[in-house]
Amino acid sequence: MSFRSIVRDVRDGIGSLSRRGFEVRVAAHRRGKSQGHVHEIRDQSSVIQNSCWASLPPELLRDVIRRLEASESTWPSRKNVVACAAVCRSWRETCKELVKNPELSGKITFPVSLKQPGPRDAPIQCFIKRDKSTLTYHLYLCLSPAVLVENGKFLLSAKRNRRTTCTEYIITMDADNISRSSSTYIGKLRSNFLGTKFVIYDTQPPYNAAGLSHPGKTSRRFHSKKVSPRCPSSSYVVSQVAYELNVLGTRGPRRMHCIMHSIPASALDAGGTVPSCQPDSDGLFSRSILDESFNSVSFSKSSVDFGSARFSDITAAGAGAGADDGDEEGKARPLVLRNKAPRWHEQLQCWCLNFRGRVTVASVKNFQLIAATQPSAGAPTPSQPAPPPEHDKIILQFGKVAKDMFTMDYRYPLSAFQAFAICLSSFDTKLACE
Amino acid sequence: MATTGASDGASAAKKEGLVTLMSGDGEIFEVEAAAVAALSVTIRHAIEEGFGDRPIPLPIVGARALALAVEYCRKHHSLGGGAGEDSAAYDDELRAFDHNLAKVDRDTLFDLIEAANYLEIEGLLNLMCRTVAEMMKGKSVEELRRTFDVSNDYTPEEEEEVRREVSWALD
Repeated sequence: MSFRSIVRDVRDGIGSLSRRGFEVRVAAHRRGKSQGHVHEIRDQSSVIQNSCWASLPPELLRDVIRRLEASESTWPSRKNVVACAAVCRSWRETCKELVKNPELSGKITFPVSLKQPGPRDAPIQCFIKRDKSTLTYHLYLCLSPAVLVENGKFLLSAKRNRRTTCTEYIITMDADNISRSSSTYIGKLRSNFLGTKFVIYDTQPPYNAAGLSHPGKTSRRFHSKKVSPRCPSSSYVVSQVAYELNVLGTRGPRRMHCIMHSIPASALDAGGTVPSCQPDSDGLFSRSILDESFNSVSFSKSSVDFGSARFSDITAAGAGAGADDGDEEGKARPLVLRNKAPRWHEQLQCWCLNFRGRVTVASVKNFQLIAATQPSAGAPTPSQPAPPPEHDKIILQFGKVAKDMFTMDYRYPLSAFQAFAICLSSFDTKLACE
Repeated sequence: MATTGASDGASAAKKEGLVTLMSGDGEIFEVEAAAVAALSVTIRHAIEEGFGDRPIPLPIVGARALALAVEYCRKHHSLGGGAGEDSAAYDDELRAFDHNLAKVDRDTLFDLIEAANYLEIEGLLNLMCRTVAEMMKGKSVEELRRTFDVSNDYTPEEEEEVRREVSWALD
């Protein structure tokens, strides 16, 4: 009977899966420690074979976890899905396969969601709590629609460090231990001395760093064999934020300009996507852990150049860096965001933006970011007369709702991490802007 | 419990409307063909393929699980006509029956899932998968491993990442 043979196939599949897992473990242990562990593992793996639940056919495990995933759709009960994914490799594989990324599901589940683009339609609504005494900022996912209810799922935290020449915000996934040495450190924001220009660094390489593996493009720089073994502090420039003095003087609204090096401008075109060289969406583990070779020293060195004073040239430089070969200029051009210009309200005698109830306190920090379509970022080709509607949407909105409470709503193509970092830049003092 | 036929049933003359099932551990069950064929796709196909006068071998289904599965088929066939949970026929009595069936111990639960999957009894499979999903809720990773007797098979590096994920989820 064919059904029986299917079952047999499935079982054989499980057998080989766990054998594969076994080999990986042995290899990992050999690299690290003593031989004694190998025997322990051998015993462990026989236990795995004996346990009936561990040998549950994959399609049944998927059925069970699909139900769990569907019923635990909101935090805090969504943690049950994360716990499930932590049990063992096969459970993890199944969970990661079933949990869709935020772009598709609108949900944040695993920490890896924090570096994946937000949903394309409705934004993900978050709030930031500021603690002035500890110079810390905590990002939470809103669990209730009311802007002043502090009911949220912790997402990210940041700590402001004043240095002699700049200000740095360390961003981690740990609510309490916010430091660069923490294993939960995921990136940082650094300002220039005046606090008018910022660079966002990610510990993971952006998509265009994957160009490393394509010979021909900038190969001299990237094919260096100098690889730092599991260096946790490697930094990749993913974005730059600049604040400009506005033409009306010091009291008016600020002008913001964000160059998203990790997002091509084509991401907002019809059918466009944010390419990722992070295998997290489908892989079981993030590359930062498993693929050490990605922490290329030479790449981070090259990014230091971006932090220099040539900031005004950065649009050209950013486009140039990816478009060395000319042909693919359109693809490599980074996405540029700018703030939506507020309009002057005659009756109220103030600058106004419509935040649709999500921002309630007037503040110079409030902003809405939309895609910039200025010609300098690459003129649209004659065949595309009008920008698609995607370009009108507010991609990131940030504003004050109480003394130390701010809302942050972000959408595709930004990730929570990028959005948080951009918002943090708005907190910093800008001598030239105020 | 269910109709436990004579163990020499393999060669016994067939009674009208009965079908003989043989569990993986060799036990013979004589059951109403209409009830099991209505609920179990596998058995319906077997009967269609001419297994009606011979015992149908069910190699991976143990006797205990088979007895429960047959009981499920009989109950749902007689009370609900085999209709799903969305139908009006799914009344309090059937609900109570399902509820009780779901209270079996862990090992039986596992056997029942496998049996329902093999026999292709959709309603029973749904019921059991839902029960397991409920058991997964509100447990720590260690509790899940203990409950389902699954070992941690991560490398130390993977373990570290998994731990970070869980502690973030609980923050």
